[in-house]
Amino acid sequence: MINLAQKDIAHSLGKFLVTAMGVGMLFGIVLIMIGVYRGMMVDAEILLNDINADLWIVQEDTLGPFAEASRVHEDLKDTLRAFEGIDKSEALTFQNLQLPGETKPIRVTAVGFDVFGKINPINPGRLVAGEPLTKEHYQIVVSEKTGYKVDDTFKLGRDIYRVAGVTRDTVSSGGDLLVYISLKDAQNLQFLYSNARIRSDRARGISETKEAKMANAVVATVRAGYDIDDVANKIKQWKHESVYTRTEQKAILTKNLIERSSKQIGLFTAILVVVSTIIIALIIYTMTLEKMKEISIMKLIGIPNSMIIKMIVQETLILGILAFIFGNLFSHLIYDNFPKRVVLEIPDAWMLFGVVIAASVLSSFIGIAKVIHADPAAAIGG
Amino acid sequence: MGTQGIRVENLVKNFGQGESLVEVINGASFVVQKGELVALIAPSGAGKTTLLMMIGCVLEPTSGTIWLGEEAVYDGRWIGNDTRRIRREKIGFIFQSHYLIPFMNVIDNVTLLPQTNGLAKDKAHDKAMELLEYLEIAEKAKSMPSQLSGGQNQRVAIARALANEPQIILADEPTAALDVERSVNVVKMLKKIAQEQNVAVIMVTHDERMLAFCDKILKIEDKKIVISKLNDNKHIV
Repeated sequence: MINLAQKDIAHSLGKFLVTAMGVGMLFGIVLIMIGVYRGMMVDAEILLNDINADLWIVQEDTLGPFAEASRVHEDLKDTLRAFEGIDKSEALTFQNLQLPGETKPIRVTAVGFDVFGKINPINPGRLVAGEPLTKEHYQIVVSEKTGYKVDDTFKLGRDIYRVAGVTRDTVSSGGDLLVYISLKDAQNLQFLYSNARIRSDRARGISETKEAKMANAVVATVRAGYDIDDVANKIKQWKHESVYTRTEQKAILTKNLIERSSKQIGLFTAILVVVSTIIIALIIYTMTLEKMKEISIMKLIGIPNSMIIKMIVQETLILGILAFIFGNLFSHLIYDNFPKRVVLEIPDAWMLFGVVIAASVLSSFIGIAKVIHADPAAAIGG
Repeated sequence: MGTQGIRVENLVKNFGQGESLVEVINGASFVVQKGELVALIAPSGAGKTTLLMMIGCVLEPTSGTIWLGEEAVYDGRWIGNDTRRIRREKIGFIFQSHYLIPFMNVIDNVTLLPQTNGLAKDKAHDKAMELLEYLEIAEKAKSMPSQLSGGQNQRVAIARALANEPQIILADEPTAALDVERSVNVVKMLKKIAQEQNVAVIMVTHDERMLAFCDKILKIEDKKIVISKLNDNKHIV
């Protein structure tokens, strides 16, 4: 049996491939959008995973530094160490900074931690040059995307900092590049006012506050054999702070912070899929319209509808599958150029494949309707 | 003369209803024997395409009877629902333009119907090659329609019409797009096919020069058929 779709495609192969490439680019963007969402999820968990703490103790009635302003006393870490079940505890600060850049400032999230403490947020696996912080002052570890190299220096606040190490793939939950500084430097940058401000405060009769010993959160690990939730509840009860387990903190990050972004991306992706479906349908409709005379002739000479419909469905499916392949190639070619992390996962591609097949079948209905209603008499009479 | 190819009795076709009723064919009756080439002539709008479509099982008559070969295909209603099967198995169509499928080469165009009718690919191919040789266009078997001249394409269209071994051929102005020399060749070819393949051929034409090659002339006059046998007296049916 002659395969009409194969003959038709072979006859206008170039046009068919270019069309498939065009639709493929749309599918590529769909994959990129899904990848951006996956990237946000991965980014959100980087810091959480690198810190690897069981408990996050934050200001009472707040969701913690990733969600809102949180201030706790640094010495809370010492109190917690005396708590039954706590193994290690350290204070951390999180703040947004602008590093000087070549053309414009670079926005980063700075993580302040006790350089000599027992919980170090710098994952050695991500360190690609230099070394972790070794001094309490004026050292910084930066993400390689800042463009800084080891031993580069720049001014931050009132002081000059030297790049001690460079990390790769380190971003905050908001997608900003991560830098690491000592807790003391971070406290100075975050809580210490400038000389002008201090003079101004003194003139107003405002006494100097001793806020330099504040942190944004204290993280802790729980000894083996202790139930994390039990320890968390005891801390809540006795210290009047909000305590989140790692799972809860992850939920805050992914549900509370990324939810709206993910919904936006999801909606955008859905719109793109609908647009792609409409475009495929229009292409198939146009391709069918171009063949109406031939379809009328085929119907007139007795070719059954099923054979003509098979041609339309096969062409639509082949177009969809080719577009899907081109879309995958396209997304893999460009994903690395996006400023934010794009994670392309095979299950997402298979999900899109299912959508493409469904969209193609749906689109082919328009062509099929044209075939069914084509008048064989249109071939007679010129 | 051969056996009955087409027989039409009291065929009526009206369009519209009530005050807007238009009678196009009113009681046409005629017989075309197998082996005959018959011309169908009429002024534009007189109903020759309508008549052709009814015989070709494309347009349902208002009333009357149509036989193709010995099989009654219409008797007040279509006998059997699958008119497309009747067209596929009994009728060969030739059009003003060749109307070959442009995305298939010559051999595929000719083998399309036989393969659809269930003939194996190899056998359909051999048969198509025989037809193309018969029509002296076998060397173009692998060419696309766009690579052939008008006359060559029309010969391929004739081969396609013959490929399903039809009992009748309905040709709708097959020479309209050709010059005189090619037109004569095509009509001679249809005459030869009618005789050698024992097929009843009805050819719509406006070109009176082609009538000399026909065995009989059907003329639509006043919604009825006037039959002229060449060198015979005319009579209205």
